[in-house]
Amino acid sequence: MFTAKRLAKAKQKLPPGIELVKADDFREWQVDIQVLDDNPLYNNQVFRLSFIFSDNYPIESPEVTFINVPPSSDAAPSSSQSQPQTSQPPTPFPGRPIPIHPHIYSNGIICLDLLGTAGWSPVQSVESVCMSIQSMLTGNSKNERPQGDEQFCQSMGVRGPNGWSGWRSGGTGRGLKDVRFAYDDDTV
Amino acid sequence: MKVKIKQWHAVAMWRWDMPEDEVCGICRVQFDGTCPTCKFPGDDCTLLIGKCGHSFHMHCLLTWIQQESSKGLCPMCRQKFEWKQAGEKDQQAT
Repeated sequence: MFTAKRLAKAKQKLPPGIELVKADDFREWQVDIQVLDDNPLYNNQVFRLSFIFSDNYPIESPEVTFINVPPSSDAAPSSSQSQPQTSQPPTPFPGRPIPIHPHIYSNGIICLDLLGTAGWSPVQSVESVCMSIQSMLTGNSKNERPQGDEQFCQSMGVRGPNGWSGWRSGGTGRGLKDVRFAYDDDTV
Repeated sequence: MKVKIKQWHAVAMWRWDMPEDEVCGICRVQFDGTCPTCKFPGDDCTLLIGKCGHSFHMHCLLTWIQQESSKGLCPMCRQKFEWKQAGEKDQQAT
């Protein structure tokens, strides 16, 4: 009941470095984000976030994860990376990797308190979540994955059409909602 | 000249005593509008004014507070959400 109305309002202007790439429905949105400074870890890279909303959004948190989009030679929509080269064939889509960060697993799952049940608040929005993730990237200097990345990714299985919903809704592995993160690092 | 009033219709307008452009932080609709579940603004879709200074549509806030994960906290400032009773004066009026 909430979701549609609330999301319709969010399509209005987004802050710099945040671009809506898919918002056809009120189930899943995809957003491209970039850091705004020159952090060498993420400089000139674009990353794609997937937001999956429940009918209860914004009372319930959306599922927010990075998704990996492989580069392709065919002219996929290449966001705001418009170089001033005219009459050239469109630049090949550079892909959307999973940013390297001590709180981002290589399957795209983000360990961030405000995305969990305990840290979520219904005054958060797509915009505010994107900005938090932007600053999480901007503030990072460690070129590393979380501890136990490989085991974690194995335990999560494969992301299904409904996101990381796990065995409860037809996927494999445990669902993201079953994961208990320990938010023990205040430095990043 | 004598005027005799035979019939009259009183018309009144109302609005919540809130800044006009302020929206409910949960549904992002103006306070003078309804929460997403209601059709008509007014007494059936009233506001809750928090002692912490944050206000919401009553229905929006109650939906949130009924969630176990809310722990009864204000979505804005995460203090315990307590609302002012009708007629209670604003202590820190500015």
